[in-house]
Amino acid sequence: MQERLPEPAARHLWGGYLAAERNAEAVRWELEQLDGGLLGRLSPPVALKGAAYLLAGLPNAAGRVCHDIDLLFPADEVGRAESLLFFEGWQASPHDAHDQRYYRQWMHELPPLVHRRRGATLDLHHNLLPETFAVRVEPRRVLDAAAPLAAPWRLRVPAPEHLALHAAVHLFAETEWQRGLRDLYDIHALVEHFQAARGDRFWEELLDEAEALGVAWLVEPALACGRTLLGTRVPAAAAERLERHGPPRWRRGPMRALFRHGLNTRASRTPRRDALARAALLLRGHWLKMPPTLLARHLLYKAFRAPQGARAGGGETPTHRHG
Amino acid sequence: MRIGQLSRSELAGRLARGGLSLATGPVTTRIRTSIPGVAAHLAALYADFPLGEADGIADFSCQLRPPRGVRRYYRPQVLFLADGRSVFKPLAYHQAGPMLEWGMNWCIASQLRDRLIFHAAALERGGRALLLAAPPGSGKSTLCAALACRGWRLLTDEAALVELGAGRVSVAGTARPVSLKNASIEAVQRLAPEAALSAPCRDTLKGTVAHMRPPPESVRRAQEPAAPAWLVFPRFVPGAPTRLTERSRPEAFMGLAANAFNYAALGRRAFHRTADLVERVACYDFRYSRLEEAVQVFDELATRREPSAVPGAGEPGYHGRPHGPGVDGAAAGGAGERAARHPVAPGR
Repeated sequence: MQERLPEPAARHLWGGYLAAERNAEAVRWELEQLDGGLLGRLSPPVALKGAAYLLAGLPNAAGRVCHDIDLLFPADEVGRAESLLFFEGWQASPHDAHDQRYYRQWMHELPPLVHRRRGATLDLHHNLLPETFAVRVEPRRVLDAAAPLAAPWRLRVPAPEHLALHAAVHLFAETEWQRGLRDLYDIHALVEHFQAARGDRFWEELLDEAEALGVAWLVEPALACGRTLLGTRVPAAAAERLERHGPPRWRRGPMRALFRHGLNTRASRTPRRDALARAALLLRGHWLKMPPTLLARHLLYKAFRAPQGARAGGGETPTHRHG
Repeated sequence: MRIGQLSRSELAGRLARGGLSLATGPVTTRIRTSIPGVAAHLAALYADFPLGEADGIADFSCQLRPPRGVRRYYRPQVLFLADGRSVFKPLAYHQAGPMLEWGMNWCIASQLRDRLIFHAAALERGGRALLLAAPPGSGKSTLCAALACRGWRLLTDEAALVELGAGRVSVAGTARPVSLKNASIEAVQRLAPEAALSAPCRDTLKGTVAHMRPPPESVRRAQEPAAPAWLVFPRFVPGAPTRLTERSRPEAFMGLAANAFNYAALGRRAFHRTADLVERVACYDFRYSRLEEAVQVFDELATRREPSAVPGAGEPGYHGRPHGPGVDGAAAGGAGERAARHPVAPGR
């Protein structure tokens, strides 16, 4: 490359690299503590998302910052996992009765655990998608297909097709799209990596599994966005098969525009349309997550009954940290 | 070109069109706003600062604007947005100047990761840097303003920047205005009647706030780092006699690490760099109540020839890198409230 990166830009990239490197080190350390601790009394959990990419040494782990650790357990063990982890300093973050119920009855994960001394956060999942989601995913398929890691790890990681599916399903069922571009890059890097490693067989397994789990309609827009924004290569046969799971032709254009604007960063030229798209995606995400009556109940509670602190969200006061 | 060379309407015009790039030493900030209070704040305090290149790279992109909603018609407020995202709860509209300062502080403290950032004031004299590390309310800024008025070159009153990569340890700062609050405004005015202070802004979260315009010489040399020589932990104690006492190096290390903004995010690199720094400086605790006496103490310190306290200090990596123990996830928890933000905690 002839031209050098301007110094200020290079500095920020270097800073991002340092922070990501440290984050990976800290995540690995936390996982080692979890793996060697009381969780040994349960069947080996499956690391999801960032933790899985890191442990499996996948290309999207480099430079990626994870803000929490996600572990998947069989549904009948997740409660015990929470109790055991309590003795190692992991405590449920304070939630009121509504939020407790929201998580425990309707969601696919328990309320996030926070380590008492270190402040690290841990999500215990028993499924990939909420219990009340538009389609019910069978978590057994993911648990049974998970691959072991080299010793001394007890932890397992999802099979390649499940890694890619989870990344796609997670983003395209999401309410918050703040880290959308990173999540789209995950999908891109994963499918390109597994395509290179396993060839077209990977695509067949991916789509078979997507159809078996009933989530192909979420994979279709994920790969379409990947193709447009990141140049994700999808073999013709797979593209044709995905096509059948896409939205009807009249809805395709608006849906594509919605996702494209949702994926824009805050430094975009279309801030108003992006904000509109973010609002629409928030509604869409909630709509998919809960049946309408439950959604109405949840939103009404959040609007009128939730304690002040829970609602205000975001934004510290300027003096909170800086003198 | 300097901010002071722009007419008020040119300044306001550039701010409104999003073209004002403010170069403060090692950091450049692009500011967009149509709030007149911000233009007035910049005109009063930043006249000596150069403009960055209009189409050059800015480290931070900021905007100040009132929140949308009907409230703007009867009780206007101001928001600070970094990269289009509001980072604080809104403040009253007349506090736009302080909001800009706090917002720029936030950008430095939370967005720079390529260097170690200490919550400390820093000044230079005779090529040697003095670091004043302390949490808010310790009288750090007051002391910093007083020294800047009495011949010390101001590096920063808020965030001392230490490069990670380079072999020699050096401290840099943005030379931005010094933030003074409540009684310290008058204390600085008494000590240095010639100091240019902005009009006090009342009823902020910190009470009454005023900013001191940095000396032109400090602004002119803002790109120039300095080698650290003294690390002082100041504390203002009403009525207390002026007292400078030595502080042990391990205690100084812990005190400095606890005052770093990004210690946990940089892990072992932060540990080594903090150790490098602490080994090169003389460390003190300082209690004071009378500003005039305090300034004298530091003048004496600057004229004294400081004997190097540790043999071998001055060579990078003296403390035994790379064999020294790394800082792991658990150890990061020990380093004070600011530094303790775990790398695996929910982000914004």
